[in-house]
Amino acid sequence: MGERQLLKKEATTDITEHNFSALEKALTMEGAEVVKEIKEAGLKGRGGAGFPTGLKWELALAEEADDKYLICNADEAETGTFKDRYLMENVPFKVLEGIIIAAYAVGANKGYIYIRGEYSKPIKIFTKVLKDAYDEGLLGASILDSDFNFDLRLIKGAGAYICGEETALLNSIEGKRGKSRTKPPYPIQSGLFGQPTVVNNVETLTSAREIIDLGAEEYGALGTEESKGTKLVCLSGDISKPGVYEVEFGELTIREIIEELGQGVKNDEQLKFIIPGGASTSIIPAEKMDVDYSYEAIAEIGSSLGSGAIIVLDDTHSLLDLMVNVSRFFMDETCGTCFPCKDGNKQLNYLLKKAVQKGGFTKKEIELIRSIGETIILSARCGLGQTSSNFINSIFDNYQAEVLQRGNEDAEN
Amino acid sequence: MPKIKIDGEELEVELGTTILEAAKEVQVNIPTLCYLEELSVYGGCRLCVVEIEGEKNLKPACATEIAEGMEIKTHSEKVRRVRKNIFELIISSHNIGCELNCLDCSWNISCELKEIAELIEIDQSRLDSINERYDDDNSSHAVVRKMNKCIDCTRCVRKCEEIQGVGIFTKANRGPETLITTFKNKGMGNVECANCGQCIHACPTGALHESYHYNSVWHFLNDDSKFVVVQTAPSVRVALSEGFGEEPGTVATGQMVAALRRLGFDRVFDTNFSADLTIMEEGYELIGRIKEGGKLPMFTSCSPGWIKFIEHFYPEYLPHLSTCKSPQQMLGAVAKSYYAEQHGINVEDMIVVSVMPCTAKKFEASRLEMEDDVDFVLTTRELIRMIKESGLDMMNLAEEKADKMMGASSGAADIFGATGGVMEAALRTAYEVITEEELGKLDFKTLRGLAGIKEAEVEIGELTVKAAVAHGLGNAKELMERIEAGAEYHFVEVMACPGGCVGGGGQPVPTNQETVEKRLNSLYQIDAEKKLRKSHENPEIKAIYEEFLGEPGAKKSHDLLHTHYIPRSI
Amino acid sequence: MEELSFLEKLHNLQDTYGYIPEREISNLAEEADISRAKVFGVISFYSMFYTEPTGKYIVRICDSLSCYVNDSEDLVKAVQDYLEIEDGETSKDKKFSLEVVECLGHCGEGPVMMINNKTFTQLNEKKALNILKECK
Ligand SMILES: Cc1cc2nc3c(=O)[nH]c(=O)nc-3n(C[C@H](O)[C@H](O)[C@H](O)COP(=O)(O)O)c2cc1C
Ligand code: SF4
Ligand code: FES
Repeated sequence: MGERQLLKKEATTDITEHNFSALEKALTMEGAEVVKEIKEAGLKGRGGAGFPTGLKWELALAEEADDKYLICNADEAETGTFKDRYLMENVPFKVLEGIIIAAYAVGANKGYIYIRGEYSKPIKIFTKVLKDAYDEGLLGASILDSDFNFDLRLIKGAGAYICGEETALLNSIEGKRGKSRTKPPYPIQSGLFGQPTVVNNVETLTSAREIIDLGAEEYGALGTEESKGTKLVCLSGDISKPGVYEVEFGELTIREIIEELGQGVKNDEQLKFIIPGGASTSIIPAEKMDVDYSYEAIAEIGSSLGSGAIIVLDDTHSLLDLMVNVSRFFMDETCGTCFPCKDGNKQLNYLLKKAVQKGGFTKKEIELIRSIGETIILSARCGLGQTSSNFINSIFDNYQAEVLQRGNEDAEN
Repeated sequence: MPKIKIDGEELEVELGTTILEAAKEVQVNIPTLCYLEELSVYGGCRLCVVEIEGEKNLKPACATEIAEGMEIKTHSEKVRRVRKNIFELIISSHNIGCELNCLDCSWNISCELKEIAELIEIDQSRLDSINERYDDDNSSHAVVRKMNKCIDCTRCVRKCEEIQGVGIFTKANRGPETLITTFKNKGMGNVECANCGQCIHACPTGALHESYHYNSVWHFLNDDSKFVVVQTAPSVRVALSEGFGEEPGTVATGQMVAALRRLGFDRVFDTNFSADLTIMEEGYELIGRIKEGGKLPMFTSCSPGWIKFIEHFYPEYLPHLSTCKSPQQMLGAVAKSYYAEQHGINVEDMIVVSVMPCTAKKFEASRLEMEDDVDFVLTTRELIRMIKESGLDMMNLAEEKADKMMGASSGAADIFGATGGVMEAALRTAYEVITEEELGKLDFKTLRGLAGIKEAEVEIGELTVKAAVAHGLGNAKELMERIEAGAEYHFVEVMACPGGCVGGGGQPVPTNQETVEKRLNSLYQIDAEKKLRKSHENPEIKAIYEEFLGEPGAKKSHDLLHTHYIPRSI
Repeated sequence: MEELSFLEKLHNLQDTYGYIPEREISNLAEEADISRAKVFGVISFYSMFYTEPTGKYIVRICDSLSCYVNDSEDLVKAVQDYLEIEDGETSKDKKFSLEVVECLGHCGEGPVMMINNKTFTQLNEKKALNILKECK
């Protein structure tokens, strides 16, 4: 038991050392066949939402348009997530291959890789990767002497988490404020500059590359019924050996990931809970660590695998402080369009800070915070607002007794 | 056509219809806040959320199109709970709670928030006010922004950009620093603002209002050493009564004059008089330009919003602007010369106040080129406040007439307040002056109405005068593009506000398509009912030329009644 | 491929001047036929763009959850004390600007500090101050 390395294998930043076998193979297939492989392999999006990649590609392939775009989402900014950076720094040519394969499969002629502006090293690496790739005929006209043409361009983000949301990403590339768009229409129908657009996460595209390389059957044999293949897990927080680990779905439990891969909680403290998929997912308390690492098993216990960012928290922290910290993240990062998201997350932060000062909540306050949280989730336009109170709610679900203001639980105010 | 259900009512609606529109068809009004029919859909406030059968999240009715089989609930338990919470959040995150400032709010007479609160049955307010503290923006002579009241609905942003084509506002920053502001937070007075005040009408919270002059006016009314005169623009008389509960368009000329006297003004003049004067000067200027090969087309110059717009965006066209001052400034100029002289009033002691439907007039009065003409400018709304404060039951006052020498006017002057009106008035006079024949049909119907841009060709003797009329700066921009592309006109009338002055930024709330149209119709009605309908036939106008000015365009008028403009880049 | 995208132009200006000067904003606005207010709206949305000059070194310290539990707040405090500026401020000598930011994507190596384009990880107060002392 341990890591199961596919994505992480064969790391290199030297184009001459990389074997473009998957791309070569893909170019001998029809686009539709590539899509079929991805569908059969059961790949789900690794950007957080877990949307079936094959289906997305199939829909995109069916769209007719002069320009079709393929966008690699490398805006990675969800707290606790750093796997895409790992991929871009260590296996950039696999990422590139994934992008080109995806573009080929859906018939895209133009593409962007949008890397968050703070990622200077990946930006540097990828600038070189693009140059080398153009030089080697891997990008541009007649890729590897096929009749497939595809241009890829790197766009740097400029410091805004929300731009990782796919429609905000489109606005950002178009040079607008990075606010999300109303869906429908979905990017597949009307995306960048109104053209059909596929947005995929770095890890998704890299996994697609592995699928073509291995074949759907072999890849699909890894993992569980609902979660195929491998997943990069980012371990951070109170953990002895933080880092990016690749696991086969269903092979390890979260406890095993923490204890075996991460070598347990730092400084031998007591585990309190983990957040399985970044700050937008609900916590999993220590008692439930024996859950299998898969989309379905984690959903079963009321959370979500998200982007794969496992943040480990020991029991030395004040829960109230943690809540303030997480709520500040969403308050800071809302694009500011939806009133409930903009004003609601500000109010939540205020109420939580107030609780810190008095050392806890009254039951009434908890009710109020939950009610505001519900309002944000139900009425916000995009995933940021819709997930912004998951953490807070899950703390109440699991530790309400601990956060009540002692002696004053039932106060009116 | 897709079949849908709204609150159990079945209906068929066209594809592309939004839920908000569809709901209206079954007589359901969904509350909205950031939505305004005339503007693009923003979908930010989320007050209009509805529940769609089978979907977990609520959807904004204004931004969601219907789809086959949709079953929509507009006031389910979830919807009611959520929209109340959103409203509570808005109130507590901005300085707009009642306990805070209803009383001194510029919108207290007609509060949209109060209406919404009623509609969605707000019954509690559990949140502390956590308003950011921003300074007010007092940089503009025309409009004040109380940033603390701003809820970021972007209605002003969209109005300025989409209707007026100016775009001085933007949403800036993100997260908790999100705010509506001007370029680099310079303030409205330091950017390319036309001062039209249309943003005021767009704002639901009273975060925008005119720069107030009424306290200064009160001050001088109480100062016996001052001779305080007032003038009222054409559009005020058809809108003022709205502040006293009358139907939009109810004419209250006589009551207004009476009220002004009771407020203590020493003389009540009529800007209509100087509108007639403007026609004389502008008409002669046009004839001169046509005859002597001056810059054409000539642009009207009575709308100060339009002037500032040209100064910023089309400075190369400044020579096209008529050099005539606006009626407001002309009246101030002749009050302080002609009237003062004839009545032996010391000009130093004379205070000229004007009541205008307009916020840009405040800026105009402050322009250095003519800052002595008019001392204070009240909007229609400010006058309503003053009359209310004085306790007057205005609508029941006996009607009175404006003071002699500068109180008589023709119907041509009344229609100055309507888009196309200045053009029509000018043509009535130009026709008779040039042809020396009587104009048979006085109504130029093609110049009337609310089409964005109107064009007409009018035969005046040998000459075919090509005219174009635009209202609202967005339309003005389009007209300018046509001119830049080579469209040829002799005379172009532009008013900065949609509908013309009747839709001015200083008019009562609400100023919208409906109220604008009613006010406009009343102006044409007044004109139609007058015997005197041509500026050059106004006896007081004849008198001022005979006794004081000499000829239109001659030295004296030139000194007093004409001005110049300043190129301002962006 | 097509001409530079708007975002790329903004990056170029930011890199050239260290901020995006007013006249360049006006130029961009004119080129794109939008109001300069709107361009300002775009620029101000993004944390990495500035419309006023900043310090020579922009110091960004992450205070998001993973770094937070690795004592990023102590780091912030130490840097603030050393530079004598608060979050969002620039030092009087215009050498440093300090920004406490959300996740920088080095959560496994927290606490994390970026100085301009360089990222420093696994910091403690001493290491961080030494790095700052080297900024000349
Ligand atoms: C606030 C927010 C931030 C997001 N950030 C990212 C991101 O940084 N990278 C990413 O791949 N997906 C991100 N997503 C998910 C994208 O919207 C989108 O679902 C994803 O890029 C699709 O790719 P996938 O199907 O390959 O996962 C974010 C979503 C939200 C709501
Ligand atoms: S939910 Fe929040 S982040 Fe998303 S569009 Fe609305 S305001 Fe912006
Ligand atoms: S939490 Fe600090 S870098 Fe991610």
